[in-house]
Amino acid sequence: MGNAEKPSSSSAENPSFLAGRNWLERLLVSFIATRTPKCREVVKLLSQSMEVKLPVTTRIKIRFHYLICVWCYRYGKQLHALRKIASSLPEHVDDCSQETLPDSSKERMKQVLRETWRE
Amino acid sequence: MQNRENEVSKVVRGASAGVNPERWVDDHGDCLYRYALLRVRNPEVAEDLVQETLCAAVRVYQGFRGRSSERSWLCGILKNKICDHFRKLGRETNFSDLEFLNDEMSHKFIDQGWNHDLGPCEWKAEAEFMDRAEFWEIFRGCLSKLPARVGDVFMLREMDEMTTAQICQALKISQNNLWVMLHRARMALRECLEANWFENKPKLQTDG
Repeated sequence: MGNAEKPSSSSAENPSFLAGRNWLERLLVSFIATRTPKCREVVKLLSQSMEVKLPVTTRIKIRFHYLICVWCYRYGKQLHALRKIASSLPEHVDDCSQETLPDSSKERMKQVLRETWRE
Repeated sequence: MQNRENEVSKVVRGASAGVNPERWVDDHGDCLYRYALLRVRNPEVAEDLVQETLCAAVRVYQGFRGRSSERSWLCGILKNKICDHFRKLGRETNFSDLEFLNDEMSHKFIDQGWNHDLGPCEWKAEAEFMDRAEFWEIFRGCLSKLPARVGDVFMLREMDEMTTAQICQALKISQNNLWVMLHRARMALRECLEANWFENKPKLQTDG
């Protein structure tokens, strides 16, 4: 039983495209909910989709699931944002750490580099 | 853009005027060290990696034509050294990692669906926060809360851009195991960023 298919008390604030606001929406929500994976499964699939291309049927099911579940839709977008954030961290490493190489280590490195450079 | 051109021309001039690798230590040493430390969590190992990086850079300098900035060139070499480091390491997953991996974040779901009150909120566009130093401090904090092995796997995948197959081979883990680790890492990081950055910001747009 996916949460989305139950027109719960909070369905009024459910910002999903289809949220069971009237009989037609309720019908569509339950139709989609019984034919697409549950949220717990969808979040796993979304993570997998960052690694491999999912089968086309699975991708279509996820698209339909998005109609009834704005949270999974956000989750999917956020995984891409997370990838972008993580891959930019090396450029921002000076913003998040203050550690410095000890002077003695710097001197030692310069010494080694001098020797390597001469070779 | 201006900056980039300056950097490049500086590098090109450096090449013709005889480069001084010792200057790399002063200009980029701390930055490389910070990145290495974030990844291996051990000051001595991090120092060794920086030194190996600089020595390798000296040896391959002829191949560097100043297409990228000196720093990102050195950073690229360091990333390769870090991948090699993890290849040699091949540790076992320890118990605390397994506990983390088994945590299904049950409070987030009712039955199999999101708990509406705890589901993901809307994030603002990356451009609005990617240049804020506070954001990167928080992100680093979130990364450091991951169990070591899970964090290693996530960073190899998303920062060093190793492929799934390369990571499986290097760390001798199955693809399924890797996927579970990445899934849990992403879930935990998303959660941590949302709690510590996005929900703390009053200007956040919500459509709820």
